[in-house]
Amino acid sequence: MLEIRGVETGYGKLKILRGIDMKVDAKGIVALLGGNGTGKSTLLKAISGILPVWSGEILFDGEPIHAKHPHQIVRAGLVQVTQGKDSYPGMTVEENLMLGAYARNDKAAVREDLDKVYAFFPILKERRKQLSGLLSGGQVQMLVIGRGLMAAPKMVMLDEPSAALAPLVVLDIFKQINRIRKELGMTILIVEQNVRMALLLASYGYVIHDGRIHIEGQAEDMIHDDKVRHAYLGGTVAEAENVR
Amino acid sequence: MLMDFIVVGLSIGLVYGLVALGISLIFSGLDIVHFAHGEFFMFGAFFGLVLYGDFGISYPITLFLAMIITGIMGVVIERVFYRRLTSQGGGYTVAGMGMIICGFGMAIILQNVAFLIWGAEGHAMGVQFGMPIAVGDITLPRSYLWILIVSVGLMAALHVLLKHTKTGLAIRAVAADKDIAYLMGINVPLMISLIFGLACGLAAVGGVLIGPINYVQVEMGYLMLIKAFAAAVVGGFGSLPGAILGGLLVGVFETLCAAYISGSHKDIYAFLLLIFVLMVRPTGLMGHLAKVKA
Repeated sequence: MLEIRGVETGYGKLKILRGIDMKVDAKGIVALLGGNGTGKSTLLKAISGILPVWSGEILFDGEPIHAKHPHQIVRAGLVQVTQGKDSYPGMTVEENLMLGAYARNDKAAVREDLDKVYAFFPILKERRKQLSGLLSGGQVQMLVIGRGLMAAPKMVMLDEPSAALAPLVVLDIFKQINRIRKELGMTILIVEQNVRMALLLASYGYVIHDGRIHIEGQAEDMIHDDKVRHAYLGGTVAEAENVR
Repeated sequence: MLMDFIVVGLSIGLVYGLVALGISLIFSGLDIVHFAHGEFFMFGAFFGLVLYGDFGISYPITLFLAMIITGIMGVVIERVFYRRLTSQGGGYTVAGMGMIICGFGMAIILQNVAFLIWGAEGHAMGVQFGMPIAVGDITLPRSYLWILIVSVGLMAALHVLLKHTKTGLAIRAVAADKDIAYLMGINVPLMISLIFGLACGLAAVGGVLIGPINYVQVEMGYLMLIKAFAAAVVGGFGSLPGAILGGLLVGVFETLCAAYISGSHKDIYAFLLLIFVLMVRPTGLMGHLAKVKA
């Protein structure tokens, strides 16, 4: 469904991504793993169209999207779910959700999807008139996921849904993500630092390091892979190099 | 007498409020301080003069057309001249500082364009509104009544647009964070044009409303700009309700001081008020609201 071929990009003259190749198949969950400053967010920005792609191509549903504007990519059905801190804190929960549906014109279906999101996350319905800046970390994460679903996407990209959340809350969020995949048949790319959780959820994983895909493979194999474990499950990158 | 002055002050204040609203809209939407905004007020007044005086179009339609034409003029100027700078970043970045100089330059250019077309002399708009209206003890010239009705109407319309429509939601989203707005599927460049055009249109309405009271002339924009700035800062920069409140306060304070202290120093009072408010509340009266944008 999403295919990335040799993508290079960066900021100003600084190249961050040095040729990324990735594939996300329909109706699956793929995890993109990596520590801070490895290029995860840069890749998301490139896919979403916020950062221009220097070279290489990105295909969504067989169509090239790397030269399109961000709002056109959303309309094509590829939606990035921001981190929780990127809700609009000055707007109410419901306004945030309706913003997610901005690109759609089918009012009745939007209403239905709003009810669907409220069914997934009942706490959002309870607090729909409150400013989203007043929500707890977990609730804000539910809000941004719900906001992404409001666009009626074919595929969502989740940007670190576990960031700054307590372990129990993370577990709950990941359960919901799995439910969304099952019940809505959603294709999901999940970008994470929480490697174990992401690999338990995903079927396939990529590890990005220094702007390149470092390791890739089936999720269950990767969980037991020493290289992955040392790099991201407690060890440092230097230790991982030693293992190799 | 006092009530008359207050009503006059409120009317003038509403016009300050209209221009200040535009300045605040642009500040929150584009992250820039627009120093050529007074010139859009001036151009609006001249468009009004041409439409009403030369083409003989009725006053309400003149108001509407001047708003649209000036709005389009604003969109074109923003797209052609400002967008290159603002796309490099606004606020406290180098490009944001460049925008301040660019705004001043645009103000001078627009003034000179107006000078070439209409000359330096003042033009009377010559709108015949009919007899003043007496409400209780107050006799109110109809031109002021127009200001009251049109400005309050426009402000209410702006409120409805921003708070109760999808486009308004998108404008607020763009003002609060452009990257996230993009991810919502909002056409951000288009929204920025809309915000800028809207702000220029509001200023133009202010110009056509002031036209029948004062002379229409090339330098009217400069004084309006600094008064509207005073209004925006008094109310809390970037806050839309603050811009209106600031405009009203500046208008009433100025009119009362001119009436009871000295009319020949009329233009000083706005800044006395500004200095006083900033001493007591450095963020402006509603500045705390502006911190969380949208």
